[in-house]
Amino acid sequence: MTGVVLKTEGLSKSFGGLRAVNEVDFELLAGGLHAIIGPNGAGKTTLFNLITGLLVPDTGRVTFLGRDITGMKPYRISRLGLARTLQIKSVFDGLSVYDNVWIAAHSRVGFLHPLRPVASYRATASKVEGLLERLGLQGSKDELAGNLSYGDVALLEIAIALATEPKLLLLDEPVAGMSPTETRSTVQLVKELSKSVDIILIEHDMEVVFDAAEVITVMNQGAILCRGTPDQIAKDQRVQEAYLGAPEEA
Amino acid sequence: MSVGARKWTTSMAILGLIALALLVVAPLLLIALGARFWVNIIAEVMIWSLLAASVNLLLGYTGLLSFGQALYFGMGAYGVAFGLDKLGLSFWPSFALGIGVGTLTAAVAGVFAVRLTWHYFAIITVVFSLIFYFLSVGWKDLTNGDDGMPFSIPPVFVFDGLELKLYDLTFQYYFVLVVVGLCYLLLWALLRSPLGLAFRSVRDNDRRAGLIGLNVYGIRYVSFVIAGFLASVGGVLFALFARYATASYLFWTVSGEGVIWAIVGGVGTLFGPALGTAVLIVLREELSIYWEHYLLVVGVIVILMVRYAPDGLIGLLGRLLAGGRRREDASAIAKEGRP
Repeated sequence: MTGVVLKTEGLSKSFGGLRAVNEVDFELLAGGLHAIIGPNGAGKTTLFNLITGLLVPDTGRVTFLGRDITGMKPYRISRLGLARTLQIKSVFDGLSVYDNVWIAAHSRVGFLHPLRPVASYRATASKVEGLLERLGLQGSKDELAGNLSYGDVALLEIAIALATEPKLLLLDEPVAGMSPTETRSTVQLVKELSKSVDIILIEHDMEVVFDAAEVITVMNQGAILCRGTPDQIAKDQRVQEAYLGAPEEA
Repeated sequence: MSVGARKWTTSMAILGLIALALLVVAPLLLIALGARFWVNIIAEVMIWSLLAASVNLLLGYTGLLSFGQALYFGMGAYGVAFGLDKLGLSFWPSFALGIGVGTLTAAVAGVFAVRLTWHYFAIITVVFSLIFYFLSVGWKDLTNGDDGMPFSIPPVFVFDGLELKLYDLTFQYYFVLVVVGLCYLLLWALLRSPLGLAFRSVRDNDRRAGLIGLNVYGIRYVSFVIAGFLASVGGVLFALFARYATASYLFWTVSGEGVIWAIVGGVGTLFGPALGTAVLIVLREELSIYWEHYLLVVGVIVILMVRYAPDGLIGLLGRLLAGGRRREDASAIAKEGRP
């Protein structure tokens, strides 16, 4: 796949007097794993919310695969092939792990049959089993999602997102709260996924970002500071200032 | 499904079959014992349980607390009364008219109501039912206001001169049993379908539901209309059972009773609310003879249930069957074993 997957032009959103996202022009080309980093409050999650329809921008436009999706409802955006996970993990607590993934997979079918049993959908069932296998959740598929460990909830959320067969996947801090082992395997998984689906990753763990991402965008105070390969970003003076503060004049 | 959940489901299924068998033989047994009065009580419980089921579909499965389900119950009652009394229709067209009127009212009210959630939703549902209550009390020419509309009921079936009428105690009972049974069958099928799973997804997390491509508004709307349908079937049956329709069926306290039955029985389970309805109606029949303030007892029961057994009577039963397991485990099993 080539071309522009996602594009924002002059995207802004204010909360009261605070400009959380300020005139952001962002472009994602197909292929590869992209990361967005930045200090707390830089506007990363707000940017994701604007892209996925959870927030409506004050000004600016969002284009996904050549289609203007500005102000569209989240469920319509999802149906176009844009999936995301949330910073505060968000699954269906009262449903089994299996049902969590099932309903996400079925949402591509569109029609919610009122009488046919869920158990009678063979193709969906094998798709769900495959996803659970891939994410290592096979063992807890009958468990209520609300009873899972934090790390497993994060994995389940990724499984739910993948079940919607996205063309673009936005991951908001997928490894936050995971143990080092879980983090390693999740990073491996994300890298693997990025071969078949475009991914934008928001992450605080610099080790993860510099290990996994091919392109990094740095945000600060609602705006894009710079963009480049991990090497370029690591050397960039402005990035260091944003994180550590400007060096004092001697 | 885990072993515990499977065990729970099996024991619940056995209990359910026993209950069904009892319901089928109840009139024969009770009439033989000379307790005809109780045949009607059981029929009444089954009818009202549809109001609780209606509350339950919204609260237990879709996450919407409605305090206005009596509106659709009452409109169903008026619908069938109009059909029989004013329009002179025969039995089945009137029956269909009642369900149609009640469901249509829900379809109109739902457009506005499901835009809201939580207490805003609860308030708008009360407001709708109050509007219709005052309209039907005030519009005396049409509804007879508080006095209600009495009517006589034509035969349900006629075969070769043999007429089956609701005036026959036993036939009326089985008529109610079959109609209510079909409603529960429908609800059971619905809850294990993709639509039923979508209801529960919206209940648990509407934001996530939207993010996976579910139209949350549409799903809530469909649930609201189906809940309205259940309540109207209840209303139609109750009007036929009482032989009249009145504005007081629409009043919000009737809605409130539905909510209490559902909560005491256990929301989010297929038969919990029916159990709650049964226990509280029997309690009313027994206690109100001795004490006019019996509602105080009901109040205490509700408080105790909400505080100590939020999963309702059916949850208590599940814990009993799970045999002294820790409460959290048992209620988790109860949840997992839900249809």
